[in-house]
Amino acid sequence: MKNNAVSRRKFLEGLALGTGVMFLASCAPPPAPAAPAEAGDAAPSDQPVTLAWWDYMTASNAAALDTQMAKYMDEFPAITIERTSIPFADLKQKLLQGAAAGQLPDVVIIDNPDHSSFSALGVFADVTDLVQSWGQESNYFEGPWASTLYQGKNYGIPDNSNCLVLWYNKAFTEPLGIQPPADWDQFKEVSAALTEEDRFGIVMSGVKSEEGTFQWLPFLWMTGEDLATLDSDGGKAALQLWVDLVDGGYMSPGILNWTQGDVKGQFVNGLAAMMVNGPWQIPVLREEAPDMDWDVATLPVEKQGASILGGENTAIVNSTQNLDAAWTLLTWRQEPENLKAYLIEAGKLPSHAELAKDETWTSDPALSVFVEQLQVAKPRAYGPNYPEISNAIQEMMQAAISGQKSVDVAVADAQAIITPLLPA
Amino acid sequence: MTEARDHVVPRRLIEKPAGGARLRNLGQYLFLAPALVFMLLTMVYPVLSNLRMSVYDVNVATFLSNSAPFVGLDNYVKVVSDPAFQNAFRLSVYFTIGSLVFQFTIGFALALLFNRSFPGNGLLRALMLLGWMLPTVVSASIFRWMFDGGNGIINFLFESLGLLDAPRHWLIEPNTALIGTIVANIWVGIPFNMILLLPGLQSIPDSLYEAASIDGATPWQSFRRVTLPLMRPVALSVLLLGFIYTFKVFDIVYVMTRGGPVNATTVLPIYVYQLAFNFFRFGDGAAAAVLLLLPLSIVAVGYLWLSQHEESSS
Repeated sequence: MKNNAVSRRKFLEGLALGTGVMFLASCAPPPAPAAPAEAGDAAPSDQPVTLAWWDYMTASNAAALDTQMAKYMDEFPAITIERTSIPFADLKQKLLQGAAAGQLPDVVIIDNPDHSSFSALGVFADVTDLVQSWGQESNYFEGPWASTLYQGKNYGIPDNSNCLVLWYNKAFTEPLGIQPPADWDQFKEVSAALTEEDRFGIVMSGVKSEEGTFQWLPFLWMTGEDLATLDSDGGKAALQLWVDLVDGGYMSPGILNWTQGDVKGQFVNGLAAMMVNGPWQIPVLREEAPDMDWDVATLPVEKQGASILGGENTAIVNSTQNLDAAWTLLTWRQEPENLKAYLIEAGKLPSHAELAKDETWTSDPALSVFVEQLQVAKPRAYGPNYPEISNAIQEMMQAAISGQKSVDVAVADAQAIITPLLPA
Repeated sequence: MTEARDHVVPRRLIEKPAGGARLRNLGQYLFLAPALVFMLLTMVYPVLSNLRMSVYDVNVATFLSNSAPFVGLDNYVKVVSDPAFQNAFRLSVYFTIGSLVFQFTIGFALALLFNRSFPGNGLLRALMLLGWMLPTVVSASIFRWMFDGGNGIINFLFESLGLLDAPRHWLIEPNTALIGTIVANIWVGIPFNMILLLPGLQSIPDSLYEAASIDGATPWQSFRRVTLPLMRPVALSVLLLGFIYTFKVFDIVYVMTRGGPVNATTVLPIYVYQLAFNFFRFGDGAAAAVLLLLPLSIVAVGYLWLSQHEESSS
């Protein structure tokens, strides 16, 4: 036993010496940042090139990408694409770690509200010149396109879009002869009418994550206000609407802990008559509840119609050695024929305005509602501080809905946090 | 910078009693090399790198360009004066104490039970470990649904027992959300406490209990006078280890409430995660991480001292 104690001390001594050395090493000046790749340095396209690709796609989304990439590699035998799927919750962290360690892929698919943060971080390449000579900007919806910009420069191109609409279960609405609500007053009335003892009229997600913000922002925009004028009659009314729905018993206070997936669960199980959700639930609902008779409608309108723009963009990483090959791949994916096949297989909506006129999206009764709603969907273009802004909105929603703060106080407190974080 | 070095390496450990012994021991050090290199790379270096980051203003603009200016203790001042940090620290203390008291008591009681021989002992003990073996995300998700206000089994149970008139939204009400996460953490931690306490109980010689019963001790007396004093070193170790494990719990809380409602369950690790990975305020996040490590290091040093003390006295 005595021996043991001595060897522990020696071990600690060794550790101490090593620690000192490491400490000095870590004090050494950090290495200079890698120079960004120049387009001219990139390998010509007839040389064998391997492109590393990161995304967070699973299930039908992943299958659609794999199909598309196989086709690309057939057409361009010199190019090999190595696709890695990283769980959604880990992708941002992985990108940061990769950026710090200088180990990033060539191409990344990113959730569009995160795009400007990573552009500001210097992770993505400025492709403004390439985008200009490509000359396709006018073919895209304004919202998705704006989400690829940072300080007026292009840092990628849109991949697909989604937005939120109102879903309703016809088994509950038809017996009462209820039509989807057109404005907020009707929205409240219908929610009340559809509420039963074991069923809520409406469910939306107020969870403390980006999903909560995503679901509430459209209601702010419907009043004509925006985050800069959150502390206004409109901002208060938008928050009051949610508070009223919960206080009236038409929406469960459980929404504060429900993700959009949980919201869909309530809807599928008949515990809610209406929900607010996105197009990615269509294949899920068709699979989980094939007999369920549901329909979708555009969100109710207050001063104006509004929804929120979700979806993904593609970006090229700043440190890539294969800028030309990556750009070729990105633009090939946007050619209408290639893009259409991919979006259909993945069950996604186009960001490409021309493609949205295709009958795939206009003739399907559910999808056409999404495409219509997309016209008034706004992006979360609030600059690189957006994650912190979003957190302030989540805390505002939760404080008001759980009754910790009055609507007036919650809105004023959130405004005080948000105003200095908004881009000048 | 010097105070940082003093913090990491107490001077006492650098000073050597005799110079000649060092060379002779070189061979022995070589055997330690693989473990040392591993520790330096995977534990010491990240901690030091984090320490360095905590004194630079690393944020979105300066993260990759390495142009972050040295700001001394500014990040620490900013973090400590942030009401959200103070709230997080307080919640972490509640969370840790609440978890430890019950984990330990229930774990101890179960260890006493499993220290007796009865049919099915082995099987039940294996089942008890389930909570410890399940991935935390799984147990946290299950608890999230159990505490759900609409269809949760906890409401159902309490209502059928007549303890509750109307269903409660446990994880959404600010007063009960933290309790909900503590209950989940207690459940996960009980097997850990039990499994560490059991060998301690088994190492108490039966002859002591026999002697006590010959002297006419009641079971309660032999527990108070024999079991408890002999279990003290083991119990202290378990409590210190438990503190280290509990103070840094992230996943259970994150899965159950994401730190909400508002920030009613934003314990220190969640606060640190938010700063660094949600808000990209890396410098502030690093400073908060150091402040999170501080109490842990103090307890860890206490644990080392205790186990050394124990060894030399035995």
